[in-house]
Amino acid sequence: MDQAAILDHQFRVAAYILTWCIQLGYLGYLAVRWRALKRQADRRERNPR
Amino acid sequence: MKKAGFGFYAVLTLSLMVWGYYQAIYVAPNDAMQGDIFRIIYYHVPLFICTFLLFGISFAGSIGFLSFRHSRPAWAQIADAWALSGAEVGVVCCGNALMLGSMWGRRAWGIWWTWDARLTTTLILWLIYVSYLLMRRFSSGTQVQTLAAVLGIFGALDIPIVYMSNRWWRTQHPAPVFGGSSDAGMAKSMLIPFGWNVLAWMAWAILILAIRFHVERQQQRVAAAEAQEALAGHSIL
Repeated sequence: MDQAAILDHQFRVAAYILTWCIQLGYLGYLAVRWRALKRQADRRERNPR
Repeated sequence: MKKAGFGFYAVLTLSLMVWGYYQAIYVAPNDAMQGDIFRIIYYHVPLFICTFLLFGISFAGSIGFLSFRHSRPAWAQIADAWALSGAEVGVVCCGNALMLGSMWGRRAWGIWWTWDARLTTTLILWLIYVSYLLMRRFSSGTQVQTLAAVLGIFGALDIPIVYMSNRWWRTQHPAPVFGGSSDAGMAKSMLIPFGWNVLAWMAWAILILAIRFHVERQQQRVAAAEAQEALAGHSIL
């Protein structure tokens, strides 16, 4: 493998990894928000003002 | 039943993503000119297709909100939730696809970025929807949803400009592979992996959009309950 092919491969691997970090990171953020909202709604249901 | 359906769809999407990855890495051949870096296209283009779909949903949701905000407020809230969800997931996909394009450009052109028509119009599209999200996040008042809907509609006008940019103007960005000149196209050995990845990313975008929509509906319910409590407290005083 020449130097250019190695660099191409490294860039492609980095691109795929970064993509999954972004997508799964966003999914995780949604999960955290969902849990917080659910907890808030449950608390309100238990202690209505 | 609803949970089981969601679980089945999530598993199906995950399987499609794994299959798409396998197709892109192990089945598709190396491009004769570009080598391995070409494989970025299997994520880059499907992500842009998803971006257009998601901003299109935001556009439809914005129109729905403006149409129903007086006559059917409950429908308007649902439309607004679709508009916001489409915009947010679209921003994630568009930003991701721009990043992939930049990485490809670094190896193919030797530069991370150039102010070419396709790249610039796409960056503007992304910035319009980022401003949409910032407005929703940091503004308050009764008119925020209406203003956001108007911005969502005008923002979507950039979608056909992005799509046509490398047809209308000479760009550094590659000429359209699909729907371009008569000699454009893709070899079948690359087209099948590409098709699988488009399908997988569409399924992923719909899954994330559905989750974001449910989060927004929950947010609306919490906000409505808070407003109700505030009103009740006010009437007691």
